[in-house]
Amino acid sequence: MSRLFDKNAIEDIDREKDQWQKEIYQPAEGEEKVFETLSGIPVEPLYTPAHTAGMDYLNDLGFPGQEPYVRGVHPTMYRGRTWTLRQLAGFGPAEETNKRYKFLLKEGATGINGVFDYPTLRGFDSTDPFARADAGRGGVAIDTIEDMSILFEGIPIDKISTSLVTCQPICNISVQSMYFASAEMRNVPLDKLTGTSQNDFLMETVITVAPELLPPRFSFKLSCDAIEYCTRHVPRWNPISFAGYNYRESGCSAAQEVAFVIANATACSEELILRGLEVDSFAPRLSFFLSAHNDFFEEIAKYRAARRIWFHIMKERFGAKDPRSLRLRFHVQTAGVALTAQQPLNNISRAAYHALSAVLGGAQSVHIDGYDEALCTPTELSSLTALRTNQILQLETRATNTIDPLGGSYFVETLTNKVEEETLRLLDEIDGMGGIVKAAATGWIHKEISNSAYEYQQAIESGKMPIVGVNCYQMEEEELPVDLFQVPETLQIQEQKLKRIKNERNGSHVREALDAVARCCEQDGNLMEVIVESVKSRVTQGEISQTLKGSYGTWEPPLF
Amino acid sequence: MSRGRKKRILIAKPGLDGHDRGVKVVARALRNAGMEVIYAGLHQTPLQIVSAAIDEDVDAIGLSILSGAHNTIFPKIMSFLKDRGASDILVFGGGTIPKKDLENLKSLGIGEIFTTGTDTRAIIDYLNTTLER
Repeated sequence: MSRLFDKNAIEDIDREKDQWQKEIYQPAEGEEKVFETLSGIPVEPLYTPAHTAGMDYLNDLGFPGQEPYVRGVHPTMYRGRTWTLRQLAGFGPAEETNKRYKFLLKEGATGINGVFDYPTLRGFDSTDPFARADAGRGGVAIDTIEDMSILFEGIPIDKISTSLVTCQPICNISVQSMYFASAEMRNVPLDKLTGTSQNDFLMETVITVAPELLPPRFSFKLSCDAIEYCTRHVPRWNPISFAGYNYRESGCSAAQEVAFVIANATACSEELILRGLEVDSFAPRLSFFLSAHNDFFEEIAKYRAARRIWFHIMKERFGAKDPRSLRLRFHVQTAGVALTAQQPLNNISRAAYHALSAVLGGAQSVHIDGYDEALCTPTELSSLTALRTNQILQLETRATNTIDPLGGSYFVETLTNKVEEETLRLLDEIDGMGGIVKAAATGWIHKEISNSAYEYQQAIESGKMPIVGVNCYQMEEEELPVDLFQVPETLQIQEQKLKRIKNERNGSHVREALDAVARCCEQDGNLMEVIVESVKSRVTQGEISQTLKGSYGTWEPPLF
Repeated sequence: MSRGRKKRILIAKPGLDGHDRGVKVVARALRNAGMEVIYAGLHQTPLQIVSAAIDEDVDAIGLSILSGAHNTIFPKIMSFLKDRGASDILVFGGGTIPKKDLENLKSLGIGEIFTTGTDTRAIIDYLNTTLER
């Protein structure tokens, strides 16, 4: 037993606090207003040891790098190695994004974080009628393995870790395959590659929907195929990054964010075990992607709660033994949805607070948003300012000196317990529905998120949630102090490349490659095993997606 | 439009960008304000949107574009409406659209563009006022 406080002391403290609250604490004028977290957890005027009196130090908190990992996943945390500075970048054709990657690396970024344009994320070629208007927008355009090779030209992929923000499994199955195949063509062995791909079926079927979606169970299958492939062939790659960040961006609360990623990770684990893999063969490589939103302390509590929940699920539900399976590792991006188009330079301060919460919550890597992201794709100046904000946090604030500096805070520990409670309640509800894949197929998650998003907007419009520059301290006739980014010409370039490639490539090899994909669907084989080979004959991403849709059909999600 | 009939609004999100938080919030706000909202969730090419608007006999089309493709997509919608003799349908939009593009978009006949951070009540007021004329 390692109770935090002596029972008699707690009684004394409780009694004194009651008296303080009755006699000394005078609610300020207007304090009838509700104090609560962004997710609606009530917040008291003061927290004392009595709030955490029920906790057992060793069982509930422990030490960094030890069970239950609440205080951090590594024994030394940032004293040993600081978080990765992984700034998101991608736009236009691969040639242009390659230059931005080289720029960010030269300026001290320690990892690449590649984002893909909307057609690529959705499995369409740039020239598809659905896609043409969006080619190069929101990320870099990838149509064939040639684009992938150009994207990483001159970048040491055997030394640097790469995150591929291949959100949708239908994108990931082709684009990640192209990355692996292009590494092989550069003579970099797959077991040398380090990085992460996103590969989250909820991204495809719930969070951001588009025409011609795969049904949830097939999108989920593609996601698991990639995990299985990497477990066997690319052991240092994190084949999935459960995209809680994006769930949050689309409207979730903090607890929903954690509940949905953990339910998703649970479903993947069950599926991979059914396929015959040992839990400890893949679980160490499951990774998480979380948001850092406006409620500073609630976010810190969220990261700490997520680690404790994951630890218990992995250990008790799946019987994982490898400590690496029990540790929830996560990348953080500061909340894009919290940025404002009004007075955009204010976003530099917002994102800095967001990032500080991520660091106090023990993140493994952090992306800070550019101040202009409510207006456009970040310019070189805003990307650089974001990177510098990250470096200032790392080098100047000394927030890294000790591990989990807020551990033991009466407030933060209480909030950690509250977020955990609410998350566990949601996880039970999802289990009761038969798991996350069913909860997606019935539209339950769509509805939950849509309701939260609407409430959030109502809170802004009613003034209940102040947002500086939006519903208070607005400025009339504000001059925008920023240059807006212009996406370089993409469609014409991709059109020409595709035309040339389709002329050059061997038609019968292409047909064989696509037949092999269709056959693999029929035989319920692992598609990544086939597609890593297929892409070498320069089949396009769109051709692969069309083949998958031909086999699996498409799905119209319920809309709320 | 004839008095007494509920205002019928088609809300759509053209293109492949799936960031639909804003468009869904707007759809719900218009519905709560008593309008009849047809949410063309996945019918996202300009031609599909125009056909749906005509089939559904709507008073207005609201388009959400966050990807930066507004200068490509809005002109297409306007020209398809003209081709089909449906230029009387009011078109309005919203999303991540820089101020410098607003004038050009309005000159195409777009009624109003609501940029990031707009209060949904401003959209409701605009539709109530404009569609009563």
